[in-house]
Amino acid sequence: MSKIILPKRLEKYRYIGKNTIRHDGIAKVTGKLKYAYDIYLPGMLYGRILKSPYPHARVKKIDTSEAEKMGAVVVTFKDVPRKKFNIRLVSVDEVNYKDWEVLTDHPKFVGEYIAAVAAETEELAQKALEAIKIEWEVYEPLLDPLESMTPGKPKIHDKILFGQREVEVKNNIACTKEYVEGDPDRAFKEADIVIERVFKTNRRYHMQLEPKVAVVRPEPDGGVTIWTTTQTIHNTKILVSQVFDIPMSKVNVIKLPIGGSFGSSIQTNLVVLVAVALALKARRPVRIALTREEDILDHHSYQMIFKVRVAAKKDGTIIAGELENIMDIGAHQIQAYPLLGTALGWFVSLYKWKNIRYKGIAVYTNKTPSCAFRGYGNPQVTWAVETVIDELAEKLGIDPLELRLKNYVGRGDIFWGQGPTVKSVIRSDGVPELIRKGAELIGWDKRPKPGSQKGRYRRGIGVARGFHTSGAGGPLSGEVIDYTGAIIKVNEDGTIDYITALQDHGGGTLDAHAKIIAEELGVPLKSINIVWADTRTTLYDVCTHASRGVYVGGEAARRAARIVKQKLLEYAARILGDIATPEGLRIEPDEELGQGVIYVEGSPEKRITVGEVARIAWQRNWGSIAAAVSYRSYAAPPAFTVYFVEVEVDTETGIVRPVRVVAGADIGTVVNPDLAAGQIHGGFAQGWGMATLEDLPYDPETGELMNRGFITDYKVVTAPDMPKLDDFIVIFADTEEPTGPLGAKGIGEAAKNPVAAAVANAIYNAIGVRFYELPITPEKILKALKEKGEIKE
Amino acid sequence: MVKTVVIKPKVDINKVNTHILPVDFEYYEPRTLRELVELLDKLGPSAKILAGGTDLLVQIKQRAVEPKYVVNIKKVRELDFIEDRGDYLAIGAVTRLRAIEKNSLIAEKFTALHEAVRAMAGVQIRNMATIGGNLCNASPAADTAPPLMVFDAELKIVGPGYEKVIPITQFFKGPKKTVLKYNEVLAEIRIPYPKPPTGSAFIKIARTAMDLAKVNVAVALRVDEDDYIRWIRVTLGSVAPTPVRARSVEEELIDKRFSEEIVRKASRLVVNDISPITDIRSTAEYRREVSKVIVRDALLIAYKRVRGV
Repeated sequence: MSKIILPKRLEKYRYIGKNTIRHDGIAKVTGKLKYAYDIYLPGMLYGRILKSPYPHARVKKIDTSEAEKMGAVVVTFKDVPRKKFNIRLVSVDEVNYKDWEVLTDHPKFVGEYIAAVAAETEELAQKALEAIKIEWEVYEPLLDPLESMTPGKPKIHDKILFGQREVEVKNNIACTKEYVEGDPDRAFKEADIVIERVFKTNRRYHMQLEPKVAVVRPEPDGGVTIWTTTQTIHNTKILVSQVFDIPMSKVNVIKLPIGGSFGSSIQTNLVVLVAVALALKARRPVRIALTREEDILDHHSYQMIFKVRVAAKKDGTIIAGELENIMDIGAHQIQAYPLLGTALGWFVSLYKWKNIRYKGIAVYTNKTPSCAFRGYGNPQVTWAVETVIDELAEKLGIDPLELRLKNYVGRGDIFWGQGPTVKSVIRSDGVPELIRKGAELIGWDKRPKPGSQKGRYRRGIGVARGFHTSGAGGPLSGEVIDYTGAIIKVNEDGTIDYITALQDHGGGTLDAHAKIIAEELGVPLKSINIVWADTRTTLYDVCTHASRGVYVGGEAARRAARIVKQKLLEYAARILGDIATPEGLRIEPDEELGQGVIYVEGSPEKRITVGEVARIAWQRNWGSIAAAVSYRSYAAPPAFTVYFVEVEVDTETGIVRPVRVVAGADIGTVVNPDLAAGQIHGGFAQGWGMATLEDLPYDPETGELMNRGFITDYKVVTAPDMPKLDDFIVIFADTEEPTGPLGAKGIGEAAKNPVAAAVANAIYNAIGVRFYELPITPEKILKALKEKGEIKE
Repeated sequence: MVKTVVIKPKVDINKVNTHILPVDFEYYEPRTLRELVELLDKLGPSAKILAGGTDLLVQIKQRAVEPKYVVNIKKVRELDFIEDRGDYLAIGAVTRLRAIEKNSLIAEKFTALHEAVRAMAGVQIRNMATIGGNLCNASPAADTAPPLMVFDAELKIVGPGYEKVIPITQFFKGPKKTVLKYNEVLAEIRIPYPKPPTGSAFIKIARTAMDLAKVNVAVALRVDEDDYIRWIRVTLGSVAPTPVRARSVEEELIDKRFSEEIVRKASRLVVNDISPITDIRSTAEYRREVSKVIVRDALLIAYKRVRGV
């Protein structure tokens, strides 16, 4: 069994902090839940997309006549609105770089969309696709960001839009950001110790379970209805409206369960726009489901090259930090510009550098566009910084835990939740508790000295800490859009409908909302129905990203529940009579009745069920008991995580195995312990893959992925690769976030961010070798040990 | 400046995927071995045998093969068996990997084969894939090949009007190539019971628990009461165009007295028997290095099994 340590404080709640059955659990395990992939409409056509086989090319001639002869509907770049846009709408318009088109005659990576066909079956569509003839002009590709940004290289983009303004791209640099605080030059001069290192992260694929799907039905009024894989139904609606000039009221995006995402559907998937183009032309519903091979060409993580420089005093006081961040963003911008700021935010929020210099450069290459991948640059930055901090501790002869506690950004400090325009003050901080408890459970004091072991199998213990934001809110409006909406209405029998646009990626976010509502209202959890809604019937929600689902969405739900509760109590007071003020009424859930029961404090015989109140309000024409709340948080608090990892290195094969994990998480109030711990286990697995396994190299000759798109050669870790459940302990800190719903913060990304660093530090502890390039594969370890003279013939 | 170049993509991304099957073929389900062979003879070389589909269907979707005819061999029930025939164990070609994994006789007598099958893919795939399919697909990384080779397995091949038995070492001709003619079928695998006391072991090095091998090795050996090695087989996969016997290691060790030191020395000779390449899974250098390690590890484990410790 998975081991979870929970704070006692949670015992005061009814549903919060208890494991409950997911509302969609039965449908999921029986395969009955319908995802976008399961949507089939009468009269529907199947679409396929023609993609560029070249990393950089131009279409000189395209002949679609053979495909049309086969009965297929065809759209090419000639049939779609030729405007530039950004598929992600989370940033405010004036800082949004736009360089995408629906279909293009100038593809800039292998896999970019040129044309699409729709036919009666997928097989026929595939045959029609293969019948399209194209004459190409092929250009030399740029696959390395450092080469790409060298002056005189071929231009990948010429003119793009920044907001509504046209800008010229120079030296393939998509955008930049610089920042200076204090006097770093002086601090580096005054330092007793300076460490400078260069790091290169890997390019990873999200490998979410569900490849992207779009089903689009054209409506008689000129509008469209859309079923798709998305983290944001409202931004999908807005983008489709903007690109195709359809009024927003006529674009309806249906909310569906999503089979995982990890950030890969923050942006509207381009496949949606292609399906809209096909459906409008065909005047029939069109379904496009990307194959796994197409999906892996659609989105990767950001690959970053860092130079980190840290200055400290002998006593372990850090006095300056510098970060240079060159990001390979692939062929298009999704959130390169905001990420330049956010990466800086992760850096400044890790430690009190006091004097800071940052230079961020986002570079175009002829590769698959990069997008957020669970952590949004944070796992990369944390890997580099936590490696340097570990080295610093060793050089100074200070316990790495002590050095971290001395310098970390914690309670009362300013936290950059999402770059320089999203700042708030830290109010809850479980870091000292997590470090203390984690060190004890892993046996920190007994860890070996780095490089001191001799045998074949060497064990090492590493630590790394980090955090992630909970949402992108804050007191200032800033450059990031972040607000949500919740509607709660009481049915005429007392059951409750909860309606939100906020998407649940599969982690149980909406179950958390339901529990928050039940707790706030005092009604049984099972009386709350989570409605599958659409853009027409919900208030705007920006997107489920930035680990904001529970923190922002849950608070909106709680506030709506509070209003509903007020109304219930007022009506109850009216019915019960004799009540001086509704404030004296309480609601308690009655699990047997399946109802909340309203009673007078001190006179419990005066009582009525929520159902009876609702029925009377209906029968007597008092109107609906409901609330609609649009909510923006004025803070974006960090959820802190501290990972202690023990690894075993086989020095003869270079294979590293995770032996034990003690993962500490300060997520404020733990709403659903099993699901939150599940996030930690999943975060560890993904972090382990990042540290030791995953990468997407390109073929330098052809600009294709070396794995040819097949996941046979893009492995991710699965359960057998993980430590035994008995050897994986999750500690939840005893904290309460004052700005969060019933004290809760986020978890999804914090669960992953420090993992790669902790693993790398553990490997160092085991064998005394540092690695500055991810992933740390057995091949690299064996080579390094050989160079060190550790392997004898 | 933009320079025009000539690029030849290695994959046609508009054709190749693992989901859509736009290839038309005729499908057959013969019920007997005889019917099967007659059918293959009639259909000619453009027929492909479907023996589980975990390789073939992927290959068709990837358009590596576009067969005119697909012959499902799984309905030939007479080829689905695991049978003790006294001197040897016989496994029908369409026996599912899962059945082999679950067979206690195989686990006991042919431990290396049991371990190899357990190391293959996930349960869902093992429920579909067959041992005949794994062999006939002739991947250099096929996990069932090395253990069958160390046990000197023989293959019964049935053609129109004849049948023959060949040693498995003669079966593989190169990546995806076997000696089978279009009208011949691998019907069964015969594994002679090794003379006791014999121990065997299988080790696979891969990227994750569910992966193709970077290198795999199977070994089997028999030692006499004085610890002299009287019989030994070492076979590796994924380090040459076909699974290979490490004869240098075998020759070095035969009739020598078993010791960790001598095994360690002999294992290094494996580099003479293999010709690994660098591909996306690993490098030639790494494969060479770990081949030495896992040959030694496997021999030490196999020896312990002989001695029952």
